[in-house]
Amino acid sequence: MGLFYALMAVGLSMIFGILRIVNFAHGEFFMVGAYAYALTAMKLGINPWFALLLAAAGGAFLGVTIEKLLMRPLYQGYQSWSIVKDEYAVVVTFALSLFLIHFVDKVIGPSPFMGPSLVSTQRIAIGPIMLNGQKIIAAGISISLLCGLALFIKKSLWGRQIQAVAQNRFGSSLAGIDPVRTTSIIFAISGMLAALSGALLAPLMNPAPDIGSFPAIKSFIIVVLGGMGSIWGSMIAALLLGVSESFFAVYVSYDYRDAFGLFVLIAVLILRPQGLAGQKGRQS
Amino acid sequence: MSQMENLWSRKLSRDLKCLFILCALMCLVPLFDLSPYTLGILIIGFYFALIALAWNLLAGFTGQFSMAPAAFAMIGGYITALLSYHLSVSLWIGIPAAVFGSALLGFLLGATVLRLKGPYLSLTTLAFAEIARVFIGNSHEFTRGDQGLNLPTLMESRIAYYYFFLLLVVLVGWLIFLLMRSKYGGYLLAIRDDAEAAESRGIPVVRFKLLAFTISSAICGFAGCMYGTFSQLVSPEMGLIQQTGLIISMVVIGGIGSLTGPVLGALLVYLSSEWLRDVGNIQLIVFAMLVIIFARFFRTGLWGICLSLYARLKPVKNN
Amino acid sequence: MKTEPLLRVDSISKRFGGNQAVDHVSFEVPQGIILGLIGPNGSGKTTVLNMLSGELFPDEGSTYLEGRSITRLSPSQLAHLGVIRMFQMTRVFIRLSAFDNLLISGRALGLSAAEAETRAQSLVKELTLEQVQFLDAGQLSGGQKKLLEFGMCFMCPPKIALLDEPFAAVHPVMRETMAEFIRTRNQNGQTFLLVSHDMPIVKSLCHESICMNTGRIISQGSTRLVLEDPNVIEAYLGGDHV
Repeated sequence: MGLFYALMAVGLSMIFGILRIVNFAHGEFFMVGAYAYALTAMKLGINPWFALLLAAAGGAFLGVTIEKLLMRPLYQGYQSWSIVKDEYAVVVTFALSLFLIHFVDKVIGPSPFMGPSLVSTQRIAIGPIMLNGQKIIAAGISISLLCGLALFIKKSLWGRQIQAVAQNRFGSSLAGIDPVRTTSIIFAISGMLAALSGALLAPLMNPAPDIGSFPAIKSFIIVVLGGMGSIWGSMIAALLLGVSESFFAVYVSYDYRDAFGLFVLIAVLILRPQGLAGQKGRQS
Repeated sequence: MSQMENLWSRKLSRDLKCLFILCALMCLVPLFDLSPYTLGILIIGFYFALIALAWNLLAGFTGQFSMAPAAFAMIGGYITALLSYHLSVSLWIGIPAAVFGSALLGFLLGATVLRLKGPYLSLTTLAFAEIARVFIGNSHEFTRGDQGLNLPTLMESRIAYYYFFLLLVVLVGWLIFLLMRSKYGGYLLAIRDDAEAAESRGIPVVRFKLLAFTISSAICGFAGCMYGTFSQLVSPEMGLIQQTGLIISMVVIGGIGSLTGPVLGALLVYLSSEWLRDVGNIQLIVFAMLVIIFARFFRTGLWGICLSLYARLKPVKNN
Repeated sequence: MKTEPLLRVDSISKRFGGNQAVDHVSFEVPQGIILGLIGPNGSGKTTVLNMLSGELFPDEGSTYLEGRSITRLSPSQLAHLGVIRMFQMTRVFIRLSAFDNLLISGRALGLSAAEAETRAQSLVKELTLEQVQFLDAGQLSGGQKKLLEFGMCFMCPPKIALLDEPFAAVHPVMRETMAEFIRTRNQNGQTFLLVSHDMPIVKSLCHESICMNTGRIISQGSTRLVLEDPNVIEAYLGGDHV
């Protein structure tokens, strides 16, 4: 599970790293991805692998649209980094999240269908852990995506632009990088990753409009744990959280495993607010 | 100079007067021979008005955006309910316990997160709210889970409850006014505008953020337990994120950063929500969209729009 | 027998990751002078200022105000002790009226409502902000905001005023108003520590100066001598900028 958390958390971390805002609608990318996958695969009868790609594209598209419509006013004009932007982002992304959840609920309805698996599910037992085919494939895809993303950031032109904008928005604009377009790219990637995460997990759950909420909360916790703005931190934290949560669920209490995440969050905030790899963001 | 009207103490006084006028108008409403159902809706509107005032204190006056107002209301309601259910404690103790308990919980949560810069408050309160709700919902032996808990009531007559809640709104609004008019209110507003600058001017920012958060949580808890005595039932549904969404809509649409705005927003939004529910259950879609539109284009909310219309229509006075 | 200087900085250092931004810097600020802190970009001046005003804590070393250690105090604690800081990018409370900005600054440091009101009124006159005093601070022009911030810092005259590039990007006329304000206050005994790039202003205002480069002090003493110091000239013109 840690891997899926990672997919989601990384995108969120990127947005925070660049814009210093939190995207409360992040969970809805997940949901959109799951729905897109399930719907296109089932209703339109498209090959599941292709449906995955569609879901990813859908997530990217949604990300870019949101950025264009709602986020631009925040930072258009480099001087207008006014303080009100934080409040605006919180309220707007939160409202967006609610809007999307209920809109989908209304338009599509809480259908009881499940998306098709990518491969026929077989239960494979490895030691005490039961796996099934879907999970393995999904895990494999996640890993390759994460590695691919890491490489992308480090090596590609766009990737390095992202790093530059993250460090110094104004300065990088002087160097000729267009921060607005870079931000669009970040939103697109963020949306795509979350949507894929949703699509990969769709065969394992019953899609409902609010399935994005818990993954979103988990990814918020991970981003804090890993250090806001640090992609590596998020990845490591995601794995940590995923693994320790499973242990907790098995050995301590299944019902309260979500509360575990909250305890982790609070503990981190008290002990080491900058997370594993984040920069100093504390008040002195 | 008419420009002096822009001083914060004057703006607040005007705001309070308008709130009193609004509440005075609401006093007249029961004279229209309304059904108990409609009265009940208005009463719940007042419940939301209380929470809206509390959330505005935190968000509109201090710039701290918590996602947990509904959760604190739920917690307040449950404290009273649990005391009544398990220990048969009377409301006279149960209600102060709810206020104190919510305040304490708010203080602890706030102390953890308010000293940090960044969006940690929103994230943590969101996580807190969801997990609190699930926790209460799952603890069947202790809280009867989703079935909720029953509470005794304070008074029998619904009309009495109406005026009681209206009085509570007036009182809470007035108390918040007193706070905001004092120098402490000025500190909160300064923190809202620029917390770092406020710190440099000598304002102990963390202390005051914590104050606002604790008071806000206490008011939410109080509202929750009052609601509990009226509906005689508390359930985990009180703490749903959708409820917080509703509250945020009420404040943003009504007018964030004022006293009258949240109350106006609460009543309008809740009444609309009941009506929209009959139409087709699209309340949150509409409200969320409205929130986005208002946040983008009408920062000051409906109340702000009213004020600017009034200013424009009023003939210019020459002193 | 030396009297205790107003501010004493004792070998403070600060490191950010791999960068030693400030490297064992020590100096004293006697009562009543205007001290200039100059140096090329990246020399560590602002970091020193941040450590003096409580935004950052030094990794090593200490700072003393009138003999009392103030090394790890928060900005608001320092403000109460009389160390006030002005920011480089003007920071005022934009949704409050200019007058309210002044009132709040005064009351935060302990003035009563009546005292704060009186002082705010006289500051408004002194800073020629009468026309705009009741407008929201966010509606003021850049220069007016700067003057307002000045006013806010001086509602309660501090023991020492730390000014971070106050003349950067300021209209020349406004610059004169501000310089005059500083001079007048200084004649009444107000101590200033001024970080600036603006050489003419530094020459005309600052009695003494300290020049930093790459985290260390490379020259200090009377302003005229410092500005003629070949090390200083080299640092600005060619040497090792970060």
